[in-house]
Amino acid sequence: MTINTSDLDFYDIKSKLKTYFRNSGEFEDYDFDASGLSNILDVLAYNTHINGLTANMSINESFLSTSQLRSSVVSHAESLGYSPKSITAARAIVDVSITIPSSAPNTFTLARGTSFFASIDETNYEFFTTENYSAVNDGDTFTFTGVTLVEGKNKLKTFLADSNIDVPYVIPDSTIDTSTMLVNVFPNGTTDQSNAYLDIKRVATITDDSRVYMVRESHNGDYEIIFGDGNVLGIRPETGNVIKVEYIATNGAAANGAKLFTLNEFGETDYVIDVTTTSNSAGGSDIETLQSIKLNAPLAYSAQNRLVTADDYTGLILSSYGAYVNDVTTWGGNDNVPPQYGKVFVSLNFLDGVDDSSKTMVEDMIKSQLTSNLSIMSIDTEFVEPQYTYLELQTFFNIDPIKNTTTPEALQTQVDELIQSYMSVNLNQFNSVFRRSNLLSDIDSFSSVILNSRMDVKVQQLINITQLVADLEEAQAAAGIPFNPYIEQDYTLNFPVILSAPDKDEFVVTTTVFKSDGLNVLVKNELGSTRLQLVDLNGVVRIPNIGSYDPAKGEVFLSALRVDKAGYVGEGIKVSATPANQSTISPLRNYIFTLDSEASTTKGTVDSGVTKVLL
Amino acid sequence: MAKAFSIEDGNLQNKPITTTIVRINKDIDCSFTPNPTTGDIYKATDANAVRQSVKNLLMTEKGSMPFRPYYGAGLESILFSLSTDLDEDDIEERVRSTINNYEPRADLREVKVSIKPDYNSADITVIFGVVNTTKIVTLGLTIARAR
Repeated sequence: MTINTSDLDFYDIKSKLKTYFRNSGEFEDYDFDASGLSNILDVLAYNTHINGLTANMSINESFLSTSQLRSSVVSHAESLGYSPKSITAARAIVDVSITIPSSAPNTFTLARGTSFFASIDETNYEFFTTENYSAVNDGDTFTFTGVTLVEGKNKLKTFLADSNIDVPYVIPDSTIDTSTMLVNVFPNGTTDQSNAYLDIKRVATITDDSRVYMVRESHNGDYEIIFGDGNVLGIRPETGNVIKVEYIATNGAAANGAKLFTLNEFGETDYVIDVTTTSNSAGGSDIETLQSIKLNAPLAYSAQNRLVTADDYTGLILSSYGAYVNDVTTWGGNDNVPPQYGKVFVSLNFLDGVDDSSKTMVEDMIKSQLTSNLSIMSIDTEFVEPQYTYLELQTFFNIDPIKNTTTPEALQTQVDELIQSYMSVNLNQFNSVFRRSNLLSDIDSFSSVILNSRMDVKVQQLINITQLVADLEEAQAAAGIPFNPYIEQDYTLNFPVILSAPDKDEFVVTTTVFKSDGLNVLVKNELGSTRLQLVDLNGVVRIPNIGSYDPAKGEVFLSALRVDKAGYVGEGIKVSATPANQSTISPLRNYIFTLDSEASTTKGTVDSGVTKVLL
Repeated sequence: MAKAFSIEDGNLQNKPITTTIVRINKDIDCSFTPNPTTGDIYKATDANAVRQSVKNLLMTEKGSMPFRPYYGAGLESILFSLSTDLDEDDIEERVRSTINNYEPRADLREVKVSIKPDYNSADITVIFGVVNTTKIVTLGLTIARAR
């Protein structure tokens, strides 16, 4: 008789044991909970359950993809040469002006460590300068521009080195931003002369006399500093040396988004202080999540700290600038439209709250710290903005009147929320594919009240008239050209999908209503043709040929379209087109699909289920 | 022509087959005393098996059984509560509900409880019939603090 004990559930195991006794006939009382035999079976089943659980957990924790404990995930990542990111401090850039009414010196220094405060959601955060800034007296006013503020507190840990003991130096602080660590080794406790040690990740070549350290997250969440072995991996501090580690302890992502900073350092004086924010606080991030480590560690391993393939760029940028960047996509210049050889195109989808100056800073850092050092020579990096293409979903579903206990409108709202949740989770990223059947399947299974559903899908792009007008007027003002009440120019819109061929009954390309020469109009394709026409709201064709669309290229071209500066809804004109394949919509390169909730509708219809004899 | 149907298909000409299963309560004896002849531990059978089962049940503390937090009578915890917090009816109710919930073979007839506050103990007598038999079992328990 074989007892199958592969189950992990206590009751399943006990049930197997009972089956054994049921077949043996030796005892009868195994089914009664209070019997002695049942008590023994409880012990046996519990023991088997614990053993099975332990074995299962051990096996799971042995692999990066299945491990659940942070210590295991970090350990696996380290074996791939990947160091999980610590919590990261938010940074802001401000301009500071200090006016000293009396006895102003010739120069004034905003010292390293000067504190600033900012409030986010009624919580105060302390920011401080990490270097000295000097300004000269200009009419009793000192102006400091581009002052970088870092959120957190500066902390210092002092260790007495002992070269005879091969142990790491532990910093038991989970709020440490390891990228801000400064490690200095003093010969003894009385001298000010010290040797700076560098993070091994920032050093290109290591010899036996290199001064480097490694920092790693330990199994209990502390951080450990390890020095070289004195032979191959650099110098090890001698016994009697004093190791001083300075770092910033931070609140991470919570301090992102601070807009107003106050400088309280000189509160006792009559100084007039003005702080102007150039760049809101951004870049703060919490400790890297397990999911992120599992994603980034294999990518970093395959990249081998070199930028060769598209995935290398994605892996290294995400691992280095994940505090700013939500997603990255990269493609070679040969795949670009039009092709541009000798270039790599990178599109960054920044996190919410990262302002333009921070974006520029990140792009500059990617170029200076990553692509200049690690990419193939003669390959330039070009950044491209993400191109948003909106999806317009017209959803229809039938409602079972017998099971339904709510109104169709309430159900419509619930389905709307379901669609928005689905789109939020599954789209809004590079390379995210929209699959209509998956969404419809979710809608069908959302409630037994929903009998069936269908969906019409359109892709849409926005001609941002507001922005175009602002840019044009700025240029015209600079050149002294008078403004027109309209804007007239060509527009080329590239959809990342093949568009539907012209149909004799349905329009493929349509726009929202706007004013042209004071008349409410819109653009549609001529039925059965790729030619685009300007049509008024009565259906009268005002301009018979205002452009065309190319279904195969997904291109919509509007020629010399005149749009009044007032009279459109929102930011501009929405151009909608029916894709050739509504079931699967895959993005190209830097395109990101997202839902246009305003242009999407959901309609529930009560289906009485009555069959008809005539149509 | 006569046709023959199976019993399952409704051949009512055959007489119904009536059988009985004689079920004997057979459990391990929890004293774990070996039989000197065979070396196997003794078995508790019939009313003795049910008696042993009821005793096990009443002496099990709630929460001690894996994954079954409500199983047991919880009499042990009574010893560590104030004597004014509960009375004999409370203990009787615990015994009754526990046996009714977890031991279907015991047909409960009577529960007698006598609390002795001066000795930090309680005497419990449970009288029950064994289902499907004519046997009446009297089980006496005394719960007392060891120190």
